[in-house]
Amino acid sequence: MHRRLMLVTACLALLTSVSPTYGRDFLDDLLHPFAPAHKKSSSKPTASHSGEIVWSGLVMADNVEKPQAIPSELARIEPTLKELFGYNQFEVIGQSRKTLMNGQEDWLASSKHFALHVDAQGPSEGGYIVDLKLMQRDSTEPPTDQLVLETATKLSKRSPLVIKGPQIGKGQLLLVLVVQ
Amino acid sequence: MKTFEENWTAWLDDKLTGQELVEFESALPDKAAAEAEKRGAHQLGALLKRELVAPALTNEDFFHHQLRERIAREEAGSVRERGESVSTWWTIRRLFWTGATSLALFFICAAFVMRDKDPTEQSQYLSQILNAHVDPAVAPNATVSMFESKQDRVTVLWTEGLKSLPSDYAAK
Repeated sequence: MHRRLMLVTACLALLTSVSPTYGRDFLDDLLHPFAPAHKKSSSKPTASHSGEIVWSGLVMADNVEKPQAIPSELARIEPTLKELFGYNQFEVIGQSRKTLMNGQEDWLASSKHFALHVDAQGPSEGGYIVDLKLMQRDSTEPPTDQLVLETATKLSKRSPLVIKGPQIGKGQLLLVLVVQ
Repeated sequence: MKTFEENWTAWLDDKLTGQELVEFESALPDKAAAEAEKRGAHQLGALLKRELVAPALTNEDFFHHQLRERIAREEAGSVRERGESVSTWWTIRRLFWTGATSLALFFICAAFVMRDKDPTEQSQYLSQILNAHVDPAVAPNATVSMFESKQDRVTVLWTEGLKSLPSDYAAK
């Protein structure tokens, strides 16, 4: 009897250690079989959506003889930017820094001819769901705005988002979002 | 016909009677010495009877335990000799069931791990493009693709076919 009890205990310990998430849920189900599902503790992480800053920028990538220092917001991903796009200078032509309070804010990062509209749809696992719209303003009379690109993304706190925009002259427009 | 030694032993033990006693004592060369030896033998016998008693056991329980163990071993040996099986914990049958249970546990745990960590599942720590499209009125042949750079955990939305713009669009 004692051996069987020890065997069952060892199995439960093994289950909990191998798969903490399911093991904890399984133990929770065993200990509280009649508890409502919504009252049981959820193991899925939720974003703490207060006080985090999302930096969104319109970045002009170009190859020049004397490149300027890369903006501090892009310093972390500089090697990837240079490797992917093949440019040596990254200049911010429009930016916005938004502090999220409830994860449902919307804001605009704009330059003379472009506007990046960011509409946060709320927190998700480890980040935020955001809808992005790149608007282009042409220099016509009267000026006209047209939607170039639209995307919905799950923006992670630990993973910057880079969008390749249109070619401009010899350079490239990039849209960058970083949770700081 | 008894030998002299048999008659001597019987005489020392006062077992000779009647004619045998008379004949034996008359045959003794030195009756006084024989009587002295007889008294000495009697004294020695009395001393031995008085002093040589069975020693008392000081560890009686241990002795009994040893006896019972030995009896049990001998009985078990006789049972085995008769071909009867003896029950122990690790019998072949229990080894088989333990092995089968361990394998089943392994597969259950492996299933949990596989379900928990789907290798094709994107990490929650990477940004994900849920959907993306380019306005066909602006760039009808544009395509979008997405990938991740593991180096800096950068998620990239790559567009191709967007209309190129003059350099004055780079103005701040």
